[in-house]
Order: sequence, then C-alpha cells, then structure tokens
Amino acid sequence: MDSARSLPSVWRILNAWIVGIVVVFLLLPILIVIPSAFNTDPTVTFPIHGFTFKWFANAIFRAEFIRSFFLSAAVSVVATLISLAAGGLAAYAIVRRSFRGKAILELVLLSPLIFPSIVLAIALTMVLGSLGLLRTFPGLIVAHTIVTLPYAVRAMVGTFHSIDPDLEEAAAVLGARRVFVWREVLVPLLRPGLLAAAIFSLIMSFDEFAVSFFVVGPGMTTLPIELFNYTEFYADPTICAVSTILIFLSALAVFAIERTVGLAKLLS
Amino acid sequence: MTTATKDTPLSVLLIPASVIGCLMVLSAVLMLGISVLDSFPGWTGLTLEHYRDFFENRFLLQAGLRTISLATVVTLICLLLGYPVAWFLALGRSKIAHLVFLAVLTPLIVSIVVRMFGWTILLGNEGLLNKVMVGLGIVSAPVQMMRSFWTVAIGLIHIFLPFMILSLTSTLGRIDPSLAEAAATLGSRPVRSFLQIILPLSAQGIATGSIIVFCLTTGVYLTPLWLGRGNVTVLATAIQQQILETGDWPTGAASAMLLTFFTLLLVAGYSVLIRRLGRR
Repeated sequence: MDSARSLPSVWRILNAWIVGIVVVFLLLPILIVIPSAFNTDPTVTFPIHGFTFKWFANAIFRAEFIRSFFLSAAVSVVATLISLAAGGLAAYAIVRRSFRGKAILELVLLSPLIFPSIVLAIALTMVLGSLGLLRTFPGLIVAHTIVTLPYAVRAMVGTFHSIDPDLEEAAAVLGARRVFVWREVLVPLLRPGLLAAAIFSLIMSFDEFAVSFFVVGPGMTTLPIELFNYTEFYADPTICAVSTILIFLSALAVFAIERTVGLAKLLS
Repeated sequence: MTTATKDTPLSVLLIPASVIGCLMVLSAVLMLGISVLDSFPGWTGLTLEHYRDFFENRFLLQAGLRTISLATVVTLICLLLGYPVAWFLALGRSKIAHLVFLAVLTPLIVSIVVRMFGWTILLGNEGLLNKVMVGLGIVSAPVQMMRSFWTVAIGLIHIFLPFMILSLTSTLGRIDPSLAEAAATLGSRPVRSFLQIILPLSAQGIATGSIIVFCLTTGVYLTPLWLGRGNVTVLATAIQQQILETGDWPTGAASAMLLTFFTLLLVAGYSVLIRRLGRR
C-alpha cells in the first residue's frame, strides 16, 4: 500500500488511466457482441437498428451448431477426465518419487510451450491418420488430451507440493489400504488442484482450434471450427447470437466459481 | 518406507501420462524425420537441403520474420500495458482491485472465436471505430483496418495480456512493500527506488510472462487466419499452406522444426536467466 502511495501523484494518475484503458480494452470486444445479436439488420453493425430474436432462433435451430456444441462439450469433458486421472497420477510420481527419466517426463508434461501447436497439429494428423482415427471421436479426444494434460499436471504438481507426505504415512500406518488412501486422503486434499485443473482443461479444450482444425471432418466438427466455417460464408449476426449464448454460459461459470471457491484463489 | 501409497507401482502412476507424452514426442520426432527426407511421401535418401530451402524461400522466410516481429511487438505491448495493471492488482486490496481482477480473468473464459468476432465488429470497414472516426471527421472514408499486421497484433494482445498480468501480479505480490518504504525513508526518490528495487525484484515475473507470451504468439494459428484473412501470413499459416496446399512436406516440416528449435532455445535461455536471477 505504502509503496504505491510513495509514488508521486502524476505516476499514480497515469497508472489509474492505464488500468482503466486496459479494462475497457479487455471487455469491449466481448461486450459489443451482445447488442449486435439483437440487431434487425442482416449485417453485423453497431449501433443497432431495431430489436429482434431471429438470430437466436437461427442459431438454436441450426443443426450443425447444436451438434458441434454437444460434440465440443462431450470432447472437453472426456479429455478433462482423462487429463485429471492421468495427470494426477503423474503429478504424484513427479512430486513424491524419484525415477529414471523423470527430468524428461517433467520437460514433456510441464512445457506445453515447447511444441508450437501447428507442429503438434500436423504431426498428430499423420499419427492419427495412420491409426485410422482422423475425423473420429477417439481421435478428437487424443488431440484434446494432449493439449489439456500439461495444464492439468502443472496445477496438480503445485497442490501435491502443499500436501504433507506424513498424512499418507499416518493413514498407512493405521492400516489403510492403497486405494483407500487415494480415495479418502489424497483426492480430498487434492480437491483445489483438481478443480483448477478441471476448469483450465475444460476451457482449453472447448476453445481448442489449431489442433482440432486438422482432425475434424464433416459431421465431426467442434464448435469453434463450425463457427469459423460459418463466417467464411455468411456475415449475419447469427454468430453474435451464438457468442452471446457462450458469453452467458461463461458468466454463469464465473459466477459459480466465484461463489464456490473464488476466482482469485483458484488462480493464485 | 513401506507405506501404502509408496506401494502404488510406478507403472500405474506413469503409464497413462506417458502414453500421451509419447504421442507428443512422437509428433516432434516424426516432423524431424520428415524434414531430413529428400522427398515425402516416397523418399530415397536423407538431406539437410530443406533447411536451406527455408532460408531461400522468400514466402517462408518472410513469414518467419513476420512471426518474430509480431511476437516481439505483442510481448512488449503486453508488458507495457500489463505492468501497471499488475502493480495496481498486487498492491490494492480494495473492491475496485477485485473488479479489475475479474475483468482481467473474464477474457480467459470467453471463447477466442467470440473475441475475434468482437474485434471484427469494432475494427471492420463498417465497424464502430470507423463510424466514430468518420462521424468526428477525423477521416473522410472508412479506413481498411482488418486484414493487417496491427489488427492481428491487437487480437493477440487481447488474448495474451491476461497471461502477462497474472504472471506479473504473482511476482509483484511477493515483494515486501517495506523495501520501497525503507528506500523512501533513506531519501531515495520514488522513481529511482522503483527502477533500482522494484523492477529488479519483479524481473522473474517479467521473464516468465514474456516467455509465455512470446512462445504462444509464435505458434498461433487462428488469430492470423481470422483477423488477417489470408493477408497476414505467419509461420504457422505458412507451414500449413506449405504442407497441405503445396504438398511440400519436407520443407514444411523443416520450417516447423526451425520454429520448434527457436522456441526451445528461448525456453532454455529463459531457464538459465531465471537460475541467475534466483542466485542473486
């Protein structure tokens, strides 16, 4: 507090202005989509002329959108569950055990930055293609799990570091069996990490574009790509309506997280 | 050490994640393999020619340079805009600071496609910014802003600024405010104490944030595709064209490997830097 106050007022005012500009910059492109969804004009403009729900009807009754929305939801839930299970076990091994090749595993699992997504996308297309998994649900799951796993491992490594190893020992000394220790001791203690990992993983997967772009095909397209394809052919506010629905769902999610754990706590 | 969980076999712990990790490594190895084949599919020998091809191919080289300048611009602007916000968030405990924090996190949760669409509404020929500028008489006719380098940069800054702010806030929050106070008590001017105390102490956050933003920017595919609409070719879109449209797998793979090596070098340089900073 005091170090902020020790800055001369000119700097503090400048700081406040930058904060204000950044907040507007971050929120404006999101908020502007909402009024445009109600525009009667068949083009996307702002300010709007007239009020209508027809773009929402258009979005909701468009079979491709519905199908891709549920596909995206299913893929992100399955990829997240796999990431949590595989990532939780691996994070435990990374924190508690020492084994040969640990450094390599850490490098691969904790550094999603190392392979640019386009490299991963094209190589994965070949691998999945040779396995006959292109344009299939399992193929999409594999692709998305590769994207989400590093984030899940990272979140859970942090939580395992904060769990006292003596707790497991105590449970074991008292005669608890392996599965019981995991179920009754580790998983409950891991809950904040699991939650953070799940939320990150769900968001990453639902939004994934680059890798899916090469894996999807007719009848098996995720929502972001379906939306992108739509804009290649149409310029009406249907996309605004879909976006408004997504923003509404995101707002619900933020609200739920804020009420249950607190966003700040989740990300710290 | 014969506790129950220590008995959980290492294979059970590691196999699920290793399968996925192996796929990642396999992808990279596959790319590396293709990049040194003389032609693909159907190869007769090994060669490093395609790495030279990259530097002799104007299209790819320009895309590579554009990618680096885009990543540099995006990283610097994220740092300049993010630092004051992180400063505000790290020091403030007020209601306003909490709301600003929510505003920083919100874009992370909104789909990138939605945000790209928002920028189209703002910056398009019929967009809000053009209407305001024409209305105010700043320009006489709408300015073509879409499909340009700077529009792609703005879209990317919007995507990566939250990452930068979160990274900076976590380091700034750990600095003991009494340090700056002590400096002030000892007669140090505020600007000087900022430059000599706060800035060096936040170096790690600056390094982490910058490397994350830079690396992610070099690999982005959707934003240049969407906001550039074929007019702003970055390495990711160029590689995709080289491989899937031109059908030149080896040169595309070589470009992809050069991008990977470049990223690896950056990450390695970064970890050396962090270790140095940690030792001080």
